[in-house]
Parts: sequence; structure tokens; C-alpha cells
Amino acid sequence: MWSFIKLVFLFILATIVHWAFASIFSYWGMSVNMILAFAAAFCTVLKPACGYPAAFICGLFLDFFGTKLFGNNAFTFTVAACVVYDLSSRFDFDAIPPQMVTVFGLTFFGGVLNTLLFWWFASTDMWPGFRSLLIGSVVTALFAPAVFGLVRIVMGKGSFSRQV
Amino acid sequence: MLPRKKSPKKHTDSGAKRRFLLPTAFLLLSFLLMILPLEGLVSSVKAVLAYVFIPQVRLAHGTAKYAEDVSRTVRELLDTHRENRALKQEIEMTKLLASQAEAILDENGRLTEILQLKPAQRWHGVWAKVAYREPTQWNTVIIDKGSRAGIRERSAVISMEAGKEGLAGVVVEVTENTAKVLLVRDEDFSAAVYLERGQEEGLLVGSGMRPVRIKYIPLLTHVEKGDKVFTAATSSIFPAGILVGEVSGVRQDESFQTALTVNVEPQVHSAAVKEVFVILGNEDKK
Repeated sequence: MWSFIKLVFLFILATIVHWAFASIFSYWGMSVNMILAFAAAFCTVLKPACGYPAAFICGLFLDFFGTKLFGNNAFTFTVAACVVYDLSSRFDFDAIPPQMVTVFGLTFFGGVLNTLLFWWFASTDMWPGFRSLLIGSVVTALFAPAVFGLVRIVMGKGSFSRQV
Repeated sequence: MLPRKKSPKKHTDSGAKRRFLLPTAFLLLSFLLMILPLEGLVSSVKAVLAYVFIPQVRLAHGTAKYAEDVSRTVRELLDTHRENRALKQEIEMTKLLASQAEAILDENGRLTEILQLKPAQRWHGVWAKVAYREPTQWNTVIIDKGSRAGIRERSAVISMEAGKEGLAGVVVEVTENTAKVLLVRDEDFSAAVYLERGQEEGLLVGSGMRPVRIKYIPLLTHVEKGDKVFTAATSSIFPAGILVGEVSGVRQDESFQTALTVNVEPQVHSAAVKEVFVILGNEDKK
């Protein structure tokens, strides 16, 4: 129960951080995705039974504010969770470089996947631009270690790979 | 050859299946959400949940706004620090000047005593605020201090404008807690003044909306625009040396004039008078 409360607290914090960063970096045309970094961090400390729903809900949160399509972010975040769980057997998420590389890749390919979903289901071009997505991914990756560290501190667990 | 144990494989298979089922279920769910029409129930649920998250969004925007303001605040802080340093230097300089002035005053006192001159009195008085202006008499103000603060009729009143002090007017009526001040521009105002350039004295008179004038300046006096005008020691009300204003022109309209009339731009304008310093003790001059 206590872990669930901590997870809810982290989720609320993630939503605030996400919108704050989105507001700040949108000024320079960067599409940062901090909540994706949080979702990835959740997956490194939670078992799949909790990690997948957490990632799904994080994605769903973004979908509530979308207008053209509903569920695309939930889909992207679930795919991202799959990737993190798959990588957890090969990457040591206690180290900073794997955290940054993973978050960079997830943010970039999450953006690409989202665009494809929009194009497929809503016939809308939502491509944020290569430069915006690339720089946004770099910025998200730069903040990833802080996000991972925070999630570790609050959840008080070792990495998922360690649990396995 | 030993037969292979099947149970661990079974366990691995079920674990792998579970790991595969969970993401597949969520992917299918999100896929279903994507193909649902956005009208009706979905739209309502979205609206309600988005409303639930509004406080977080507001908080996030507030944080972002704060972060945006940080650079401006830091810049202002640095400017304030620079200004603070400059002001500290200025205070040091002022202290130095004050100590020099003190020494000069002492010297002046000694010389005055030796020459047996009447010593110049230092100004002392009270600060007061303009409490009221009479709409029909724009050149008269009521201040928020009166006889209880030591103010008497015919007390000289000065005020600050653009960082300089200047003659504002004279007290004409006093009650216990208020006093009426007749400002320089008023038609009933007059004061003995002198021109700084040649020390010629004249009578300063207010004239309502028209320029303030100095009458009875000797005819051949050399007067130029911008010459400063001060209250004269011969004034029955005002202490000597208060800046009145600057010469703005010489009137040429009188053909058989026996004296010059000079227009003066007062240092303190009637509309700008907000706070005044009432000089006390100078009524003794009368």
C-alpha cells in the first residue's frame, strides 16, 4: 500500500515536471517528454505486473489532453515499457550512461511512433520536426539520471535487473 | 542418458507467457482506445479526467513561469547590487562633504563672531504632507501638520522637485493639526529675492496662471535666461538663500519702464507639491 502511495506521488510529480518542462522548452521549439523518462524509470524499479500499468497510465495521462486521437500515448508508453524490460537483462540501469541512452532512444522513437499512429488512425501529420525531436530527446536524456535517481530514492528499491 | 527434467522448462514457459500477455493486453487496450470514436462517452470521460489534472497543469505552468522569471529576477538583483554599491560610495562621499561642511560652518561661525555680523541661522522645521487641495484655489494647499507641530503663520515652506529643494510658499492659516500654504504662483504671494548673477534684489510676485515675476530690478541690470533666483536676506518672512527658480525671460512690454520685470520659472511647481518642509523659527524675522 505504501509503495502504491509513493508511486501515486511520483506520478503526480511526473505530470507537474512534464508540463513544466514542456512549457519551458517549447519556447525553444524542443519537444521534451519528461513523463516518458519517469515511465522508463518506473519500469526499472517495478516488476512488470506494476511497471506496465504504470507506463500505460502515464501515457493515458497525456492522451487526456489530446484532441485528435486517444490512446496513442498509452500505446507508445507500453511499447517503451516493453523495450525497458527487454533491455533490463542487458543494461545496468544503475549506471548513468544506459539511463541516458535508453531515454534518448525512447523519446526519439516514441515521437516517431506517435507520428505514425496519428498518420495511421487520424490521418493527421503531427511530426514535431527532426531537429525539435532530436534536441528534445537530448534534453530529456540529460535529465534522465535525475529522474531515475529520484524514482530510486522514493521507491527505495534496487534496479529491476537486480531484482531479477 | 538421463531423461530431461520438464518442470523448470514449464515454469520458464509460463513466466514468459505472463510477460508476453501483460504488454499485449495493454497494447490491445490502447489500440482499442485509438479506434474508439472520440465523441460521446469517450469525450466526456476525457473531459472529466483532464479537469481532474488541471491543478497539476496549473502548478506546472506556475513553475514554468517562475523559471522564466528567474533570469529577469537575477538580472534585477545584479542591477540592485551594482546600484547598492554606487549608493554606498555616494553615501561615503556625502559623509565626507558633510564633515567638510561642518568644518566650513565652524570657520564661518568664528569669522562671523570676529566681524560681529549677525549669524545666519540654520534651517530647522518639520516635514508635512499635502493633505488637501482646494479645487477652486489650485495654488493653495492644506498640509497635515499645524500648530501642534510648531507651525506658525508666515512660516516659510520649501519642497523638493527633481532632487533639488526650492521655495514652495508660505503658511497663511494654521489650525491645531493642519495649515494652509499659499504657493509661489498665487497672486497674493510675494517675497524679496535676488538674482544670483549680480545680487540685484527685487520683489517676486505670483500671478496665477501667468509666469511668476520679479519686479523692481534696476533698469540696467544684466539678466540672462537661466539665472538663478534666491530669497533675499532682506525678506521679512523667508530665510536667505532658498532657491526660488530660474529666469525664463525679461518683459519688454512697458515703454516707460523705470525698472525691469523678469519672468521666473519656479523650481517647485504647484502641481508637483506633495511633501513640504516647513521652516520653523524664521517668523522671528518679522
